[in-house]
Amino acid sequence: MGESRRARLILGTLLTAALIILTIDHRTGEGSPFQPVRTAGAWFFGGAEQVVGTVGRPVSDFLHAVASAPSAQRDIKRLQAENSRLRAGLDANRLDAARSAQLKRMLGLAGRGGYKVVSANVIARRGVPGFEDAVQLDAGTDDGVRPEMTVLNGDGLVGRVIHVSRSTSTAVLISDRASAAGARLEGGEEIGVVHGVGENGRLVQFRLLDSTAPMTRGGRIVSFGSQRGAPYVPGVPIGVIERVEATPGELTRVAFARPYADLTALDVVGVVVGAPARDPRDAVLPERPRKEGAR
Amino acid sequence: MIGVLIVLVTVLVQVIVVNRLGLPGGAAPDLVLLAVVGVAMARGPVAGTVIGFCAGLLVDVVPPTAHLLGQYAFVLALVGYLAGRGVGSPVTTVIVCVLIAPLLAAGLGGLISDPRVTIATLTEQIPITIVYTLIASPVVMWLNGRGGQLRYAA
Repeated sequence: MGESRRARLILGTLLTAALIILTIDHRTGEGSPFQPVRTAGAWFFGGAEQVVGTVGRPVSDFLHAVASAPSAQRDIKRLQAENSRLRAGLDANRLDAARSAQLKRMLGLAGRGGYKVVSANVIARRGVPGFEDAVQLDAGTDDGVRPEMTVLNGDGLVGRVIHVSRSTSTAVLISDRASAAGARLEGGEEIGVVHGVGENGRLVQFRLLDSTAPMTRGGRIVSFGSQRGAPYVPGVPIGVIERVEATPGELTRVAFARPYADLTALDVVGVVVGAPARDPRDAVLPERPRKEGAR
Repeated sequence: MIGVLIVLVTVLVQVIVVNRLGLPGGAAPDLVLLAVVGVAMARGPVAGTVIGFCAGLLVDVVPPTAHLLGQYAFVLALVGYLAGRGVGSPVTTVIVCVLIAPLLAAGLGGLISDPRVTIATLTEQIPITIVYTLIASPVVMWLNGRGGQLRYAA
């Protein structure tokens, strides 16, 4: 019983003390007589907090990590998604850059020849199932593409359009075995026909109609042009002769040429919707390598 | 002596670790309160009151502090007394103390027209704090059970 009274007495005293401290502190504000106590506390406990904080930082970090684990998981997921999106964007940018370069070259070629072109992308390719070498382009009648139009890219002749729908079209490549294009040897009037031989478009066959005309390795071929520019407009570079076949007794001479256009890796192409007013002859051919030019 | 040490360490742990945890809800358990309750339950009302008062002053002084000196000294002295006396069973004692302390602090803040004590504090922050403290309280009970038998002064 005595202890209980003592406890109450102490409680009352301490509560009163607390209230007095509180009141004094409240009333005096900044000039509080307890300011030195606070300063001392700040000095002592602040130091202790610093020390313990430094030592206990790993602990507190760990606890923090545990406490924030669910949101961290969410963050990781979100960041991963963002990362892959950004990476995809970066890849797309790189592709776009490559595409832009191709487009520029294609337009440059078209400009040299005076061809009016509609640019298109190859969106599908007929490959292994089937015998034909054909690609699908993302330009159709809406873009002014009609059947029997020349398809070229920045390097040279690619093929011709055979079917057209409203927004897509099908083009047969010059490497297709069923394709035949009129062609002319650079710098002369000797004409011939370029046939596809398959082989993934690495080579095309050039059949020169005049068997007596000179034809050597390194000779360059441009398209001869058809009537009213369909299906082939004149002057488009086709390829470089790689080897000349010896065909004694035949009426024509046969050579195999490497196409300028990489027919296995087509992306940006142009469909010639308007033939040039006059044949550009050899003007569209790329410049000869320096070595040959010096001769 | 051990009680004083416990309270001292708890105050530091509270400020350095627990308050920076960033638990959901923006509140944290009041470990100092639980420590005072635990020590008071083990030592009786006299020691409980004194230790509560001292712990409160300590909390009032430990940086970062932006409230008036004596606020928590008042609250924790009362809580120490209550816990030392005991309110029914140990479980109800802890619960009552945990419930009373933040309300008392808020009431005291209201009396001196502390601008930080608003209705939102009462309806949002304090309930969450109480829940967290109650969640953490079994630890105190368990430590008490280990520390020795409870002693109540009638």
